Amino acid sequence: MAAIITTETEAIAVRSVIPAAGKGRATRLIRRFTAPIVVVVICLVVFTWISITPLDSIEQRTLNPAYIIARVREHLVLSVTAAALVSVLAIPAGIIVYRSSSRVFHAIIFGLANIGQATPAVGVVILLAIVWQTGFTTALVALVAYSFLPVLRNTLTGLEQVDASVRESARGMGMTPNQVLRRIELPLASPVILAGLRTSLVFAVGVATIATFINAGGLGDMIINGLKLQRFPVLLVGAVLVACIAVLIDWVASLVEDAVKPRGL
Amino acid sequence: MTEFSFDSLIVFLNRRWDDIFALVAEHIAVVAISLVIALVVGVGIGLLVWDKPISRSIAITSAGVAITIPSLALLAILSPVLGLGWGPTVVALVFYSLLPIVRNTVVGLREVPSHIIESASGMGMTPARVLLQTQLPIAWPIILTGVRVAAQLTIGIAAIAAYVAGPGLGSYIFKGLSSLGSKNALNFALTGTVAVVLLALLVDGLFVLITRYTTSRGLRA
Repeated sequence: MAAIITTETEAIAVRSVIPAAGKGRATRLIRRFTAPIVVVVICLVVFTWISITPLDSIEQRTLNPAYIIARVREHLVLSVTAAALVSVLAIPAGIIVYRSSSRVFHAIIFGLANIGQATPAVGVVILLAIVWQTGFTTALVALVAYSFLPVLRNTLTGLEQVDASVRESARGMGMTPNQVLRRIELPLASPVILAGLRTSLVFAVGVATIATFINAGGLGDMIINGLKLQRFPVLLVGAVLVACIAVLIDWVASLVEDAVKPRGL
Repeated sequence: MTEFSFDSLIVFLNRRWDDIFALVAEHIAVVAISLVIALVVGVGIGLLVWDKPISRSIAITSAGVAITIPSLALLAILSPVLGLGWGPTVVALVFYSLLPIVRNTVVGLREVPSHIIESASGMGMTPARVLLQTQLPIAWPIILTGVRVAAQLTIGIAAIAAYVAGPGLGSYIFKGLSSLGSKNALNFALTGTVAVVLLALLVDGLFVLITRYTTSRGLRA
């Protein structure tokens, strides 16, 4: 049976282990493709609605393919770059912390991660913009700083939960500590580490929406323009697109997660 | 670019502490109202679906998709319908609280050992009484864990809700942004952010107490 949710990261991560409704192949396929199908249907509905609604000049300036594609690209570049940087930085950092095997150090990391999780993303983004500068780089740094600790913590948790007897057997077979890490501990920890990365990716899409406040582009621009100019179609398209991107990215990440998972698990 | 100055922060806090406390109170109020609503709705949904595989899967999957939606997008969609201020904020916070609460309710109810349920029915309890008087108390600490997670999530999201004129400390964070370049920009944003962090940690501690005093006496460690 699936575990209970005890932290926010888990709140997002555990979605992948929802107990299946049925065991049949058909049910599995339906479950697997529900998310993309719903996303496509919603996008089509919104597209049709926009194309039959008469648009005024302000709306036309935003609701055209060139503008929308530019915003989507900014949004994707920001969130994917942030998630990639986090995985390159936080996973090795997690391994180093794990290797240091100092209880105090581990406790400090977990404590810091808890405080980090209590920090509102919008606060981090805006504070950084005030003390440094506005724009894309600031948003990227804020995003990486924000996801760094949760991913590090998941890496540490994943490595720590590896059964001690498994580790001993590996050592007993004559593996060096590095071999144990690469061939035993990391593969066994990979589901937890990947779940952390997936969460940080979904989170990055959400926080990238806020990046509009500090002039870093993305689909948040459309939402904010729609709100400020009271143009509901603009707001709706921006919000629906960003929600669809979040759901789709999460879906792609779940496919990757399944593909990368060691077969024995 | 603003330099941090401790003296100016002290002056700032001195002049506005009443304002800050009012915002903290608003923040607590909006989160508390949303959590109570989410608790009633979430546990209700959990009680309805926990033993039905298909509706259980639908409920948890849709709550899982819901939590993926960026909060600014949801707040923006809600605002033309519900206006600005408390309305969209409470609805959005309830929306994001549902996943941890529903899921933990379902898992909690399902993980009650079957011999306990059998004993309860053996004593002549009806299925509804078994559910409400045996399973629910045993699952309660797990449900509360879900509420605690929801509290942490919603305290952060409430800060974003200030953009649609929602109540709470987020308004200080946004005031910092809108006064970018002025003397107090950093003080506003820093006060808002740090207050949210402290509030979140405080509420987390509070939940330890709540769990202790609302758990059935026979189950307390």
